[in-house]
Amino acid sequence: MWNEQGTVGSDRSQTFAEVVEPEIEVMLRVAYSLTSRHADAEDLVQEALLRAYRALDRFDGRHPRAWLLTILRRTHLNMQRRTRPDLVDDWSVLQGHRPAFGAATTASSEQTYLDATLPTQLVRALRELDPRFRAAVLLVDVHDLSYAEAAAVLGVPVGTVMSRLSRARDRLRRRLGPDVLTQGGSS
Amino acid sequence: MKQSLRQMLECRWSARHVQRYLDADPSASLTPQEVQRLEEHLDVCARCTQVVQEHRALHHALTLTLGPTSLPDEDAVDRLRRFVAGLDEEGPPS
Repeated sequence: MWNEQGTVGSDRSQTFAEVVEPEIEVMLRVAYSLTSRHADAEDLVQEALLRAYRALDRFDGRHPRAWLLTILRRTHLNMQRRTRPDLVDDWSVLQGHRPAFGAATTASSEQTYLDATLPTQLVRALRELDPRFRAAVLLVDVHDLSYAEAAAVLGVPVGTVMSRLSRARDRLRRRLGPDVLTQGGSS
Repeated sequence: MKQSLRQMLECRWSARHVQRYLDADPSASLTPQEVQRLEEHLDVCARCTQVVQEHRALHHALTLTLGPTSLPDEDAVDRLRRFVAGLDEEGPPS
């Protein structure tokens, strides 16, 4: 434990900041996928950070991101019970999606193709997925979380994440078809 | 006949392992032997190679279509950093 090693003690707050600061962005991204509004996401992360700070003595120092995402998920569940018991989804990511390549400065033929064709079909295909499958795809493919981190967010074993991810991708791939997926020249 | 049966079995094996191969996730990485087996199969199987290309294209599309919207705004990140720094200044909250 950190206390026993003297890592957490008088410099507890500094240690907390060092552990947490690199993870704030990913916490916000995931929080936004769990809530429907940016303001809610920020509130959720702040509450989760407070809980993490209070629980720091119980953190073993390994896998800080997974630890923080687990706290984030539990905090989200608690906040939902208090305020919005009907909302459990990642829909904000899809509802608010911008046209592809919003940050791009040059338009390749691939970008032009995807911008014009794929997003609509992709979003439609995502909407048709079981929400549990969709969440796995969004966390791993869009938010770039590892299997273990996604498992921490979803509160399921890593094997379950892998299974849902595999099924989700296969369904998306089949739904979109090889022509749509590879016509733009992406590889 | 024996050759096509072996090919079919390799395709099935490939289908079960291709996503772990592409993700290279530390909690479920393939062994070097499994990677070699998969890559040798992809060298000779156009259908499984097509599946790999589709998976890559799907990941690419998901990232490019939805990724930018998931970037948190910098102001929010700054506010949360100040919140964490405030814990530092004020000590443990009650």
